[in-house]
Amino acid sequence: PGLQMSQQQINPTRILVLLNMVTKDDLTDSDEYADILDDIREECRKYGNVESLQIPRPLPDLDVPGVGKVFVEFSSVDSAMTAAKAIGGRTFAGRVTISSYLDESKYFAGQFQ
Amino acid sequence: EPQEGKRRKRSRFGEENIAERNLIGAQTVLPSNMTPLQQQCYILHLRIEDANMRLRTGRFGYSDDPSKRSPSPEPVYNGEGKRLNTREYRYRKKYEDDRHEAIQEMIKLNPNYHVPPDYRPPVQKLED
Repeated sequence: PGLQMSQQQINPTRILVLLNMVTKDDLTDSDEYADILDDIREECRKYGNVESLQIPRPLPDLDVPGVGKVFVEFSSVDSAMTAAKAIGGRTFAGRVTISSYLDESKYFAGQFQ
Repeated sequence: EPQEGKRRKRSRFGEENIAERNLIGAQTVLPSNMTPLQQQCYILHLRIEDANMRLRTGRFGYSDDPSKRSPSPEPVYNGEGKRLNTREYRYRKKYEDDRHEAIQEMIKLNPNYHVPPDYRPPVQKLED
């Protein structure tokens, strides 16, 4: 209850956003960060061509936008949609991953809100 | 076991898909028109529901196959030789802590939030 939303519009783009996947602590450790990049890149490749992958890292004394989110640029909207469905609901390090999309223009402008 | 001197990495991805198994009635692809606050509340709600489900059912999502699990910590025993930090205990604590953290954040964002009926805040240690 409360988690089921009424039919609302999902506007898929080539930019898949993965939520609830990484924490600030995971991203601070450099080895851990490299492993996380590998794990996500490997998994996403199964669903299409990954053009780029961005995982914002926290910086001391700075509020970095998008920390805690993972942004994956696929070569097509179809691949992003396949990945969104396949990965959404899967666990990553014990947390349930949720998918979303970001406008391409925002992604390329670095607006990782 | 290590092969050719290289550490074989284990992916952080779990095999189970929580949504597919309908364990929590969650929508796993979010609508585009959610505000950042709505998104934040949704994720917190999901974390709380997921932890509730796991604590209620004892399904903590670890594999029965030891080769698919991360190494266990050194065992800790009590005076009678009973192991204290069992896998069940460690996972239960992990999800209780996570639920507590998520509930505290949720209360900050939404003061009208009703906490789950079986939730008890951990006993705070008194400090001077």
